[in-house]
Amino acid sequence: MEKYECTACGYVYDPAVGDQENGIAPGIAFEDLPDDWVCPQCGVGKEFFQKI
Amino acid sequence: MKIVIIGNGLAGTIAAKTLREMDNASAIEIYAEEKYIYYPRPNLIEFIAGNLPLARLFAFTERWYGQQRIGLRLATPAKRILPDSREIEIQGGLRVAYDILLLAGGASSFVPPIKGADKNGVFTLRTLDDALRIIEHLKDHPRATVLGGGLLGLETARALKSRGADVEVAEVFPQLLPRQLDPQGGAILKSEIAKLGIRVRLGVVTEEIIGEADIRGLRFKGGEEIPADLAVVAAGVRPSLNLAREAGLQTDRGVLVNDFLETDKPGIYAAGDGVQHAGRVYGIIPASFDQARIVAANILGQKTKYQGTIPSSTLKVMGIHLTSIGLANPEGGGYEEVRFEKPEEGIYKKIVLKDDTLVGAIWMGTKNGVNGISRAVAQKMNVEKWKRDIFEETFDFSLL
Repeated sequence: MEKYECTACGYVYDPAVGDQENGIAPGIAFEDLPDDWVCPQCGVGKEFFQKI
Repeated sequence: MKIVIIGNGLAGTIAAKTLREMDNASAIEIYAEEKYIYYPRPNLIEFIAGNLPLARLFAFTERWYGQQRIGLRLATPAKRILPDSREIEIQGGLRVAYDILLLAGGASSFVPPIKGADKNGVFTLRTLDDALRIIEHLKDHPRATVLGGGLLGLETARALKSRGADVEVAEVFPQLLPRQLDPQGGAILKSEIAKLGIRVRLGVVTEEIIGEADIRGLRFKGGEEIPADLAVVAAGVRPSLNLAREAGLQTDRGVLVNDFLETDKPGIYAAGDGVQHAGRVYGIIPASFDQARIVAANILGQKTKYQGTIPSSTLKVMGIHLTSIGLANPEGGGYEEVRFEKPEEGIYKKIVLKDDTLVGAIWMGTKNGVNGISRAVAQKMNVEKWKRDIFEETFDFSLL
């Protein structure tokens, strides 16, 4: 699965790791994150992420 | 090597972060006009809407800057650049020497010459201080008008509405989002916005902001007046060029840079919203991010070309899905536009082709396929065989 990078702060969402602090288990593809998921580093929405 | 960065917005901050990741030795110092550490500007919208507390606006902590050994001088704007002696001047005539200077001064809100725009209660929204002032004023002035129906205007309108204001949007163009949408898409968007309880007026020229010291309303060309006790002017941004011009750097609409993001003065680079590259001033987050990364590499001698950024905008208004990518509303001939509409469901999709190759798209009313179509436009895919199927909700973009 593909990694996505936040263009406001550089945080990388890695599906293999997930975002456990915010209830996202490993194995969730970026596309399948909930609409209201935001960058855990800086707070911007999914629309500011780009595939790396 | 000592690298001095002017500006602590996205470009300045991400460049500093990237420089430190690539090079442990250089001294990095940021000179910032604002008194706050870096915050992504989209967070200001959520802050006004009441969805994000003040403490959560910032991307990094003050400690982080220390750990990264990035010197951050807040509320210390550069007053002058002295390219010949490789120095900048700050308050009190103090001079700071640099080996490399990165100009990332960004842009500021543009206010058209409207009579009365200096009254109390008239704001722009670009900085955290702007947002704090708007929130304070809104407490006892709940009738708001947003001047401008672009992305920032509509998102500001949504945020003010969430905070309990009565909101009206006034746009000069005969449609909403004139930069990202075509007239058909704009009409559907207008009715979706109306469903949220936000009034929209199109094709209106605001001639005067009326009132005494405080705003009391707006008068449009033709004489019609509406009451308002708060106005946000969202008429776009303009690069901040004073420093560059006074230092004799080449500027046009932005600071001119080559493919390596170098200005015409040795040792001075530029990146972000204030830059003009290959005739374009982007003023969008992904472009500033790309430039920040690339300028850091170039500063450290790893020659990397900036090849431009494909504009992609997503409107974040509750319940409305809208993404506009690339040449969504092309001017001039030679383009083929294929549309798919289901107005009763608020769905409107369009692809723009040049010689069967995707150059732009509008995806509205659904989030299915947004990633797929964005990627397809970015990679300029040939979709000759899929001109109709591509609009199916379940279309498999891996077929392309």
